Amino acid sequence: MVSTLSSPHRPGAARHHPARCHNGVVPEVKRAELSQKLSMPVLVAAMVAFALLGSTMRAAVDDSDALSTAGTIFAGVFVQALPFLAVGVLLSALIAVFVTPDRLARWLPKRPAAAVLVAAAGGAALPGCECGSVPVARRLFGEGALGAAALTFMLAAPAINPVVVVSTVVAFPGQPQMVFARVGASLVTAIVMGLAWSRWGRAEWITRRLPRSTSGQGPRWLTFTEAARHDFIQAGSYLVIGAAAAAALHVVVPDWLIAHLAGQLLLGVLVMALLAVVLALCSEADAFVAASLTMVPLVPRLVFLVVGPAIDVKLFAMQSGMFGRAFAIRFAPATFVVATVSATVIGLLVLGGGG
Amino acid sequence: MSREAENTLLLLVGIATAMITIGGAFTRYVKPSMLPWLGLTAAVVIGLALVAMAVDIRRGVAHGDHGDHGDHENPGPHGDHTHRGSVAWLLLLPVVVLIFIAPPALRPQAFPPSVTAVSTDVLRREFPPIPDGRAPEVAVPEVMVRAAQDTAGTLDNRLITVVGFTLREPDGVDLGRVAIVCCAADARLARIHLRGPAAAEAAALPDETWVRVEGTVITGSADGDSTSIPTLEVAKVTPIDEPANTYA
Repeated sequence: MVSTLSSPHRPGAARHHPARCHNGVVPEVKRAELSQKLSMPVLVAAMVAFALLGSTMRAAVDDSDALSTAGTIFAGVFVQALPFLAVGVLLSALIAVFVTPDRLARWLPKRPAAAVLVAAAGGAALPGCECGSVPVARRLFGEGALGAAALTFMLAAPAINPVVVVSTVVAFPGQPQMVFARVGASLVTAIVMGLAWSRWGRAEWITRRLPRSTSGQGPRWLTFTEAARHDFIQAGSYLVIGAAAAAALHVVVPDWLIAHLAGQLLLGVLVMALLAVVLALCSEADAFVAASLTMVPLVPRLVFLVVGPAIDVKLFAMQSGMFGRAFAIRFAPATFVVATVSATVIGLLVLGGGG
Repeated sequence: MSREAENTLLLLVGIATAMITIGGAFTRYVKPSMLPWLGLTAAVVIGLALVAMAVDIRRGVAHGDHGDHGDHENPGPHGDHTHRGSVAWLLLLPVVVLIFIAPPALRPQAFPPSVTAVSTDVLRREFPPIPDGRAPEVAVPEVMVRAAQDTAGTLDNRLITVVGFTLREPDGVDLGRVAIVCCAADARLARIHLRGPAAAEAAALPDETWVRVEGTVITGSADGDSTSIPTLEVAKVTPIDEPANTYA
């Protein structure tokens, strides 16, 4: 992708100003300029075309069970995530204005391990779901000095915040050990991934840069709205990919798969972990879904609750949008393995093997 | 994609959100309780788009065309820039889906023909009593949960009203309702069996006719194993119009 560049992160290194570009770069720049210029007319034309085709498309969707189910589930995932995304980008914009990297560094403990622990506990303070925590974590990540703490926060916030804990309590009445196991396994996942990042993480995997802060050259409100606008477009676009993937998989993944899991611990763990990834449920709702899958033993259901908020198809899409593909293809599988293993081990310890 | 087009798309996403919120179509996708949050979200998104447009217009007046340089957001390598620039086009998909297609609420065909069970392995407990009155309305999933988990017997010998659609099965007619917890992605098909003299009226109706049913849950019809579905001894069946919110 960008491997040809020796220093991909030099700010402004590749800012092509048409006037200064010579040799082979010129046609490409021209093409980019052209596509920029054309994007507005194309958008208007597309809207007109879709408006004219509207009733035809609606009829086609209504006639097909698969299409209308996929369309409704796409809309469900997207619409459900939108308010959380809005809260997330407003919060991330506040961070862009007020939390400078050195200020954050002053708040957090100096030792990376201690900073990761503080970030994990701080996750309890963001009462939202995972869609909001990705842009917030990207802002906290900044240029990477506090990357481990930011990633720990990203994984912890959607899994252990008060709203999620309460919904888990309600979904599993009389089974407080399920709540403790969920919070514990999610915290372990977040901390392990944070420490793993501080040990093995590489700055060059972060190929997506944030817009350079305009503070100093404009009023604070402008910094705020520009950051919120950027994060909404970026995270929202990738949310679309995730919602579409979830909708397609919903239609394809057969339910009988779940129906044959009774008494199969290892198979159950694997299937439920994969199911958490493909269904891409909101972390505030997944406890109710897990509770309703009564034919599955408790440990695989715990795995479902721990993996889902940490990594699923929409989070993978959003992470590659906010951090870069090189980051997401390494971080997402690692998170999947760590979350699955920690949930299984803690589940067996707390809930027992019988389920 | 130019900043101008990005702002327009952002505005369209906000308008689409406002349209499904005001028009009520959002209840096909999420819980009705999301109403205020969706309203606020629409306001925030539209606000961000309008502010960005206003800023660009003022900047355009002040600095010529410099406001158009969307790439100041991404000082990364050029290839990444063009790729990144085009990703915002994806936001056109929800705009088209929500404004022009408006997919319908989930129908029973969306669910595999398997039994939808209610958990009975969680601790059975005493439920609060259902409302007073001759035949209070109880939701289909609520009937299933109470029949399976209630130790207080709140449904025993009580006439209740249940609203749902008919599902014609080989061995009789069921009353179905799609239940969602959060959004359409977690939807499940809840159902109860309709039996007794008046059940024939429901069985005579076409599949997926919306009905209001009065009847009594047969005590013990959903006790025991976790895949059981309660049975309602039906006293009266009234066909009704499809409710605005089809989900329970």
